[in-house]
Amino acid sequence: MKSKLHRRTFMKLTTVASGALIAGVYLQSCGADHPLATEHVFSPLIKIDTEGWVTLIAKNPEIGQGVKTALPMILAEELGAAWDKVRVVQGDYDTAYEEQWAGGSYAIILNWDLMRTAGAKVRQVLLQVAAKRMGKAVSELSTRNGEVQHVKSGETLPFGALLAEASKIPLPETVEFKPMDAFEIVGKRIPQIDLDQLVNGEMQYGIDIKLPGMVYATVLKNPVFEGGSGTWDATRARAVNGLIDILELDNKTYGGRLLASNSPNFVNGIAVVANSTWAAFKAAGELEVSWDETGTRKENTDGIFERFRAQLDDTMIEREDGDIAAARRKAASNYEAVYEVPFLAHVPMEPMNCTVDFREDGCEVWAPTQNPEALQKGLIKLFGLAPEQIKIHLPRIGGAFGRRYYVDYAMDTAILSKKMGRPVKLTWTREADIQHDWYRPASVHKMEASLNGNGQVTGWRHVLANASRKTSLGREGRPAGTEIDPYEFPAGFVPDLRLEYGHVLSDVPLGQWRAVGHSATAFAVHSFLDELAHWNKRDPMDYFLEFLGPARMVPVVDDYAFDAGRSIAVVEKVRQLSNWGSPLPAGQGRGFAACKGAGSFVAEVVTVSVGTNGKIRIVRVDAVVDCGIVVNRSGAEAQVEGGILEGLSAALYGEITVQDGTAEQSNFHDYRWMRMGETPEMHIEFIQNDLPPRGLGEPPLPPAAPALANAIFAATGQRIRKLPIRKIER
Amino acid sequence: MAMPSYTITINNVKKNVSADPDTPLLWIIRDLLELTGTKFGCGKGLCGACTVHYQGQPVRSCTLPINAALDGGITTIEGLSEQQSHPVQQAWMELDVPQCGYCQSGQIMAAASLLSKNENPTNDDIEAAMEGHLCRCGTYSRIREAIQLAATKKKK
Repeated sequence: MKSKLHRRTFMKLTTVASGALIAGVYLQSCGADHPLATEHVFSPLIKIDTEGWVTLIAKNPEIGQGVKTALPMILAEELGAAWDKVRVVQGDYDTAYEEQWAGGSYAIILNWDLMRTAGAKVRQVLLQVAAKRMGKAVSELSTRNGEVQHVKSGETLPFGALLAEASKIPLPETVEFKPMDAFEIVGKRIPQIDLDQLVNGEMQYGIDIKLPGMVYATVLKNPVFEGGSGTWDATRARAVNGLIDILELDNKTYGGRLLASNSPNFVNGIAVVANSTWAAFKAAGELEVSWDETGTRKENTDGIFERFRAQLDDTMIEREDGDIAAARRKAASNYEAVYEVPFLAHVPMEPMNCTVDFREDGCEVWAPTQNPEALQKGLIKLFGLAPEQIKIHLPRIGGAFGRRYYVDYAMDTAILSKKMGRPVKLTWTREADIQHDWYRPASVHKMEASLNGNGQVTGWRHVLANASRKTSLGREGRPAGTEIDPYEFPAGFVPDLRLEYGHVLSDVPLGQWRAVGHSATAFAVHSFLDELAHWNKRDPMDYFLEFLGPARMVPVVDDYAFDAGRSIAVVEKVRQLSNWGSPLPAGQGRGFAACKGAGSFVAEVVTVSVGTNGKIRIVRVDAVVDCGIVVNRSGAEAQVEGGILEGLSAALYGEITVQDGTAEQSNFHDYRWMRMGETPEMHIEFIQNDLPPRGLGEPPLPPAAPALANAIFAATGQRIRKLPIRKIER
Repeated sequence: MAMPSYTITINNVKKNVSADPDTPLLWIIRDLLELTGTKFGCGKGLCGACTVHYQGQPVRSCTLPINAALDGGITTIEGLSEQQSHPVQQAWMELDVPQCGYCQSGQIMAAASLLSKNENPTNDDIEAAMEGHLCRCGTYSRIREAIQLAATKKKK
């Protein structure tokens, strides 16, 4: 990512994506250089050189979820490459790669077949060439460890020796996948690519980019949500050494608050440009600004929640099965509870930043983004550029969690680079990051259940009221669509069921988060099921299993059915793993929740200890996951641990509050997250099967909060109906 | 306004830099000396991502002004070892600790400092030394394990 390379890389990777043959070329960025090797580009993702080195393009943004390792593992598996002769190079944004984004736990789901197909096509060509050379049938050959092998005779040919002929054969249209029982890379515990650079400080994140002639910038945004830009007095700021310029950032002159549906434009404010990051921060701190607050709601969190609660009685029906009124009349008992969850920020460790070199011929961008396509479209909209005038590099990203799905900070940077006529690196402060996020929506959930004489649920009503992120992001369609789905659990499991949505308008900017909607609904649904179990004096795990019923496919909506059997299996396994039901010391309790998300099933048991002072200590978490095939054991376990800790951190501490239209939190002292000393012992197991791999970034998160709240109830008898928990009053 | 010049010793090399006296060491390291392994996370000494060693002690470079960092050597992640050979770095690699990796330079510098003073850290010692280091990805379990592993590596 050093500046002297960037223009070369631009040309090179453009050629790569077109699939042309490049002879005698090597990539400086891959580490070992082999200038004498001849390299053949088989496809946008796969190159092999005559020395047998296989270069694979990691095409998706690496945000810490491990795709830079996992996707190439799938390619290498189908190809039959030797993992220790594989180099992985991060791809720039290129439509030739397809599905080049990070979000919704989709990387493996969407790329499993894409990667297998890409690897299998090249394998097929290598087999063809080797078959001719060896005089054997293709069907008798296989690839393994970077060679084509004829198992019967023991004859082998290394990939590198096949290139001259292989380069003349077009890739086949259709392929057969390798049988899964022959997998040698997928399913292993493989340390991630780039580990050396991650521990020695060499890894270049977006925030580390430096270009010749580059200047540094930061932003002050209008603290009031939906406010305009401001006017400023720069008398004191001008005294700061290194200050270059102060510029207005007003989205009215750039098409308004949205770049497109689901893609917010930059937020109004002021940019400070200087000759170092520190000078920009310091000058920004010295600016005296009068902000335009015209037309803003200047809301307070208390008022927002009051409106949410009021909206519970004025709703739209999102799903209706049977007749909940009849179920209520016929019921032996009815039970209800209201749950509330707060707004949440993302706070990835790497603050928002972007580097742009806006030149006359186009625009080159180094963007820590989950969503390069939105970035490209935004630049086209703001500046009228053609797609081929925009080059987007995807440096490694210091965390994202949904925040970097939006490209507002990249628009800021592009505007500044164009205005300054030179490369600009923009770095937001942590304060700007927390106060100008696209927050996880807060919500209020009214839950009602009708029960028969045996305590079984016969009627279910879930009413969710909030400000919808769909509305905040200008998306078409039902505002409920991002908040409560017609397939929300337990739809399909209860004969008389109604899901309702109460829509409130708010200025608070809303967006994605890790398991955004499910992180809220799962807390309500699985706390409520636990309440019902206790109300009926039943063990919560037994009660949940009875609620699921027998192993079967439960039709939920259109072509979607819930596999109750897979859910039962993870619950039964977590029962054993956690020693559910075994005695605990005084003051401790266990709680349980099991959810399905992104196609994966997760059951968690949280063991908690509550001190006489009300202080909560999470002692242990047991989790069992069925995500189908596990691609990389190391990365998969990391995702589960991370998802659980994020869910627990948010449940304990996470909360953005709003006063006069401004977020009240500003840094890690008042937006707290778990530290090492609070981290529980974790036991994680995966169900082994051959089902296609499903998402893993998000699914471990939603069960964590209800399992924790249910554990606190088991320990103390106190029911948590509002997050965050912080501490228990005793 | 002319800026004062300072000579600092960083990774055993003397460097001259011109900066305002209140400039945090972090920005000297990152913007002027181009050692970008030390990270900006919060600017308030709250997250530990910017941790370097000064006079052999772990410090938050985001809140340490340059004019208070002149009396001893500074070590950044780039100067911790040759070829990531420090036992802490080796343990980090063996256990595949990082997720996004952004906080890890600071975590490693804190862990290396702990082990230089305490060969056999207890779990409580580890937690006390690492308490100021935030990891948003949740790599804490592997960090704890890696510090224990590094301690056994150091003894060999």
